[in-house]
Amino acid sequence: MAPGRLNLDLFVPPILFNSLKMKNQHSIEESHAEHITSYREHFGTWVGLILLTLMTVFISVFGADLRTITVATALLIASVKALVVAYYFMHLKYDPRIYRVLITIVMSLFTVFLIMVILDYLTR
Amino acid sequence: MNHHFTLPNSGHNYDAKASKMGMWLFLYTELILFGGLFLVYMVYRSLNQDAFLLASFNLNVWMGTANTIVLLTSSMTVAMAISALQKGDSKKSIFLLWMTILAALFFLVVKYFEWSAKFEHGLFPGMDHFNQLPNGEKLYFNLYFFMTGLHGLHVIVGGIFIVIVVFKIKSGKVNKDRYQLLENSGLYWHLVDLIWIYLFPLFYLIH
Repeated sequence: MAPGRLNLDLFVPPILFNSLKMKNQHSIEESHAEHITSYREHFGTWVGLILLTLMTVFISVFGADLRTITVATALLIASVKALVVAYYFMHLKYDPRIYRVLITIVMSLFTVFLIMVILDYLTR
Repeated sequence: MNHHFTLPNSGHNYDAKASKMGMWLFLYTELILFGGLFLVYMVYRSLNQDAFLLASFNLNVWMGTANTIVLLTSSMTVAMAISALQKGDSKKSIFLLWMTILAALFFLVVKYFEWSAKFEHGLFPGMDHFNQLPNGEKLYFNLYFFMTGLHGLHVIVGGIFIVIVVFKIKSGKVNKDRYQLLENSGLYWHLVDLIWIYLFPLFYLIH
């Protein structure tokens, strides 16, 4: 049996059922308490992202002499933007820890792919 | 004594946490899908640095910048739409979602003009001008059309997803207490934005 599940196909005696019901109501109340991000915070995030975008365009268009540095800078700025989008817009900051753990695992997996490809091409 | 008890969830299966986790698992596969394409890009660019630079001059930096700003703004409006519905303001939520869809359309129109300019110059794989290009530039345009094309497809799917959510909010199926579908459409939309954040510097800002 899975206590806490909302849908039970099993026959449940009314006494036990009432205690389950109370438990469920409690969990529904808990989900109501979920964090609501304010409009102000969303707007602040947007301002930050726009500034970073203008910065990366500015560096690229007016800093053409610094070729290799601009590639690294552009990717660094892109990664900062991606983190901001994931952390604030995608709500990872306020989500349960498991979501941050999982995305870290996925990005580590991608980093392993990346390192393997680089090593392959460097040693040919 | 008459015992009548109703099911605590009125008989509907709704599990917001599982739904959200399912959406995230799908987004991980999307990250790996585009991640693989970025690896291909990295290898070919490192082997054809000058060709990639030359080919990138065919793109318009300002159109790319405009589209970046539009996508970032739409990410904000969809995030605000979730906050609005959580607060119970479904009218505001619907308005913000229409703004998001408008941004998606704007993005696609700009993409249409960009692509038609490439078609006019015969730069689509298989066209006359394309066939005469050196290998490195061919690779650039292959990757450009494939990656922005796949991304554009995601913009269309994300837009349709949000339109569906708008109608579900109107009919009350998505509401203050059941907003996971809205949140999932938002997560998908942010992913579309996230991928563009990398596509933009890698194709437009090679200087």
